[in-house]
Amino acid sequence: MNIFNYPILLSSTIVPLVISIILPGIWKFTRNVKILMSISTLLLIYPLTIFTWILFSEISKQPLLDPIYFSHPLIGKFSMLSDGISTPVAFGIALVTSFIAIYSVPYMKHRFEEMAHEGITPPSWGIYYMLYTMFSAAMIGTVLSTNLIEFYIFFELTLIPSFLLIAFYGYGERMRIAIMYLLWTHIGALTLLIGILVYGFNAGTFDIINPETGTFNIGLAEKTLLPGWQLPIFTLMTIGLLVKMAVFGVHIWLPYAHAEAPTPLSALLSPNLIGIGAYALIRIPYTLFPSIFESASIYLYGWAILTMIYGGLMALAQDDFKRFLAYSSISQMGYLLLGISSLTILGITGSLIHYVAHAVGKAILFMSAGVLIATLHGLRSINKMGGLAVKMPYTASLALIGFMHITGIPPSLGLWSEVFIVLGAIDKALHIGSTALIVAVIGLLVAIGLSTSYSFITMKRIFFGEISEKLKEESREGVLLLIIPMAIIAAIGIISFFLANVFIEPTKTMLEVLSEHK
Amino acid sequence: MLIDPIYIWAAPYIGAALSLILSKISKRVRNYIAVLSLLFSSIFATITLHEFIIGGKPIHTSHLWIKSLNITFGVYIDGLSSFTAFLVSWLCFFIGFYSLKYMNEDPGLTRYWFFFTFFAGSMLTLVTADNILFMFIGWEGTGLCSYALIGHWFTDEEERCVGDPDRKALGISMLFTPSHSGVRALVFTRLGDVGFITGIAIIYLVLKTFSIPEIIENAPEWIIYLAKLGLLLPALIIFSLGALAKSAQFPFHEWLVTAMTGPTSVSALIHAATMVNAGVYFMLRFSPATYFSLHRIHDEILLHMIKDDITIFFTIIATIGAFTAIFMASQAIVARELKLILAFSTASQLGYMFLAIGAAGLCPEFINGWLASFNHLMSQAVFKASLFMAAGAIIHAVESRFIDDMGGLIHYMKITFISMLLAAFSLSGVPLFQGFWSKDSVLEAAAESGKLWLLVLGTLTAAFTSFYSLRLILRVFTGLKSEKVKHLEHIHHIHEAHPIMLIPYLILAIVAFIVGLIWPIYGPEINSNIIKHVLGIEEHYIIHEIHLNPLLTAASITMVAIGFGSSLYIYKVLKINIIFILKRNSVARFIHNLLYDRYYINPIYYKVLVNGFRGISLLIFKWFDKLVIDSLYHKVIPLTFTKLFNVLFKHFEVPVMDEGYNVRTVNGILKFSAFIRKLQSGILNNYLITFIMGLALMTTLLIILMV
Repeated sequence: MNIFNYPILLSSTIVPLVISIILPGIWKFTRNVKILMSISTLLLIYPLTIFTWILFSEISKQPLLDPIYFSHPLIGKFSMLSDGISTPVAFGIALVTSFIAIYSVPYMKHRFEEMAHEGITPPSWGIYYMLYTMFSAAMIGTVLSTNLIEFYIFFELTLIPSFLLIAFYGYGERMRIAIMYLLWTHIGALTLLIGILVYGFNAGTFDIINPETGTFNIGLAEKTLLPGWQLPIFTLMTIGLLVKMAVFGVHIWLPYAHAEAPTPLSALLSPNLIGIGAYALIRIPYTLFPSIFESASIYLYGWAILTMIYGGLMALAQDDFKRFLAYSSISQMGYLLLGISSLTILGITGSLIHYVAHAVGKAILFMSAGVLIATLHGLRSINKMGGLAVKMPYTASLALIGFMHITGIPPSLGLWSEVFIVLGAIDKALHIGSTALIVAVIGLLVAIGLSTSYSFITMKRIFFGEISEKLKEESREGVLLLIIPMAIIAAIGIISFFLANVFIEPTKTMLEVLSEHK
Repeated sequence: MLIDPIYIWAAPYIGAALSLILSKISKRVRNYIAVLSLLFSSIFATITLHEFIIGGKPIHTSHLWIKSLNITFGVYIDGLSSFTAFLVSWLCFFIGFYSLKYMNEDPGLTRYWFFFTFFAGSMLTLVTADNILFMFIGWEGTGLCSYALIGHWFTDEEERCVGDPDRKALGISMLFTPSHSGVRALVFTRLGDVGFITGIAIIYLVLKTFSIPEIIENAPEWIIYLAKLGLLLPALIIFSLGALAKSAQFPFHEWLVTAMTGPTSVSALIHAATMVNAGVYFMLRFSPATYFSLHRIHDEILLHMIKDDITIFFTIIATIGAFTAIFMASQAIVARELKLILAFSTASQLGYMFLAIGAAGLCPEFINGWLASFNHLMSQAVFKASLFMAAGAIIHAVESRFIDDMGGLIHYMKITFISMLLAAFSLSGVPLFQGFWSKDSVLEAAAESGKLWLLVLGTLTAAFTSFYSLRLILRVFTGLKSEKVKHLEHIHHIHEAHPIMLIPYLILAIVAFIVGLIWPIYGPEINSNIIKHVLGIEEHYIIHEIHLNPLLTAASITMVAIGFGSSLYIYKVLKINIIFILKRNSVARFIHNLLYDRYYINPIYYKVLVNGFRGISLLIFKWFDKLVIDSLYHKVIPLTFTKLFNVLFKHFEVPVMDEGYNVRTVNGILKFSAFIRKLQSGILNNYLITFIMGLALMTTLLIILMV
């Protein structure tokens, strides 16, 4: 374990959070979107630089901690932790958010014009960038937290700005959907909070890791909680996070929120925010309740396969491109849950890599949906598309790379995550028994078959085939500021395939440490 | 070692990257660099093959990729991989060279070259990989490239499609657009890949390694592990699913047929040089380990169990192969599209290879079947590449994919005719051609396996094969000129293919002929080198002679004669007009439609699987996701709460709380104050009475409390 002399990790979230407050002021003075965009991008490139550096440097082999910045006898100590589990996730968030800040300029310009057309004056660019930056930075803060209260504060901090962004700039019945989003994620958050409070007051600390010694409080909940309380508290925490992930049964808020949010926000919500639920499953219930998690894992495993198949089936039924992507995210959350519920080092490593792969893939896909919306006057219906690759070759190629990431086709990072998740899942099934193996293989066949089908059938329906006369006249390639951020994210996804070692190595080591203590 | 053999696959990958970059600079340079990278790859493969034969030991280079899991990218060169790499890389180069002219002026050339070279790189990766995960990456890479190249003409013009425009079978359209066929190829093969990766996972969990030499070396270990769980047979089948799907064996064969929507050069690439060989290669790579592990397990009871499972496994593989061989060959008889005939033929020939490798596991001499399978892979690759490229030239010339639009082309394209005739003879197994030797050894393996049906199906297929091969030649080159040809004559002259296109397929046709001629002399030596140090085959075999079973050879030659004879009789002597017969005879029409509509397998897949999943998806979406879940969360729960609040409002808030606070309390206070006001009447007597009463009350209370 290494402790930084300065709160470097904290700065990666606090600096953007604090500076973002002055963005509306800057807008008032300059009235220049480019300046806002540059500041916001720089604020988010800063954490990206830090995490890229950590991934590639030697120090990543061990957990890295900030000095303690807050301490209270009852609550515990607040610090920030970058280890093999949180770094890939934080990297995924910083990567996507920083480049979508650039993408926002042309897209939101279109959205502002559209809203003006409808006779609505939404809050200004300054407010947009403030909320956007706050949301992004708060997600990073959530991931790096070492204390449950700290985690919850950042968690709440992600909800408010994203709620406002949907309410201000969303589509359709945006007020109703924004409230729906706030309500359901809050139900998840509150369930989690009850679990956290009961655990924390019993254990006498809310720390997940002791930031002075670097030791994780593995199984602390099982040691301190009364036996009768353990299962209910575990269930509360897990259900809270599963609502966040929108797995089958508690998924219904997601298609609304992710489809109707302004597209740059959809691109952050869908892979990044809901994936934090999966990350937190490892960080919180898995760390605090290792043996209960183990006995519950078989149910989570079944739930995961069900979610994979259900999300895929629902995606096939959609006509709205963004809603299609939203359902595909539900299916992808099934993959993440499958890896985690396998409770094998390979499976969980696969899930964490899939967090990044899905972030890259789904962000690109939402961004290409945005390109279509911005250039084709709000076109979202897949039935009305077709043959667009002729006029939009770059968007089509990038969307293909996006689909490759979520279906695990080389050379995309998704290949590794798919391989590892399957390795973990088969390992788990083999240990349950022969029947389980056969069931798991059939489940995987259907689930992966569905993912491939819905991805490439949609690719065909949007970009290939004959182009209609109307589209032939209207369509043109998206503007550079839309395409370049997508291309950068795609390029990083492909480079990550070759450099997968930097993700796999520390994650695997870290998970070994976690499971050794059991 | 002169050079690191990883350049065999690295060169095409570099070519792929360069073709993207160079497309911005010069289109011509981009094309040449792409083909050059294939040439380099072939040269490296040749040098490596030479070194392997001279050095006499496997070449293994390995570079660490993922340290903690010991995933390497490297090359393992033994007899099998060196010969396959040699064959694949040269064929890729020939087809690439041919594409220089064939794809001339195509607007999507950058995409074409990128995926073409990437395809070659992926195929060579999977052939030479020393690590099974690395092999899987190449494997998936070929899937991606086949998707992109089959759907190359993604704007779906009708002349790029496969099938008859208005034909429907069981209500399902039999016209397949390029973009549709691309998706089909990807989805079909990826279903198999799930099986492949599951197999990798199972083996890794037992052995904790991804290294192919180690997996094969320690095969008994994972085989025993699985046998103890009672999972050996299912696991072997699951592991082979990827191979069956890639090589288009029944029931995965449908994708290969419609893959004809790609440019003809791509068809040649998929059918001869890459993709479909991957499945056979996989079987050749891993079946020796399965088979020979029987010799290394000493526990009697276990051995018995394992032997049963392995025998069943090989029987299944051989039967699937034999069935696919005849099943696909029968469809080729009635096909009307030039490329489609060749596509059916490929799947059928791949069936032969699976038949041989399956029969190998049942033969007393495993390597005979194994070599038969590999030899047939080599000869199929050569003659099929040649046939496809020639077909491309013909389709170019007559601007139609239907053989009805051809006929009499011998007058215009003599060299193409000769080349195609040579290749078709090799395909039919005419004696002294390369295909003759390899097919005979396949049939011999089938005979030795002791399963009669394998031999019967295999031999019958030979008759079908020679029938459709000759039919193709006769319909395309001889006979009356079709209307289309006559029409074209007037517009422009139909002429021989450009040398850049002609040379590759002519060379390959000649190779098919010459190799056949010299095979009795050099065959034994080549085969001895092929099985040298192959992973899993521990003994050193020296092949002394090319073995021929006189009875079998006679049977197979008879079959060829029957096929040729009936083809000649029908098309040259009777000159039958099929339409005429079909109009009159309902049985003939039924058989024709059955074959022509591919035994209705495709419509059945669409009716059951595609429509099934689509139906389920729409049903669940409408009646469950929208109706149950969405309503539950967004209607029932909110409404229940609203109702609850309303009830609360109506029966508690209004009558109790509102009344209580705002009416009753107020009224109460008002009444109270009126009462108080009444008390304060100013009459002293009243005050005094009140005072005494109060005092009495207080005293009473006090007394009660004190007591």
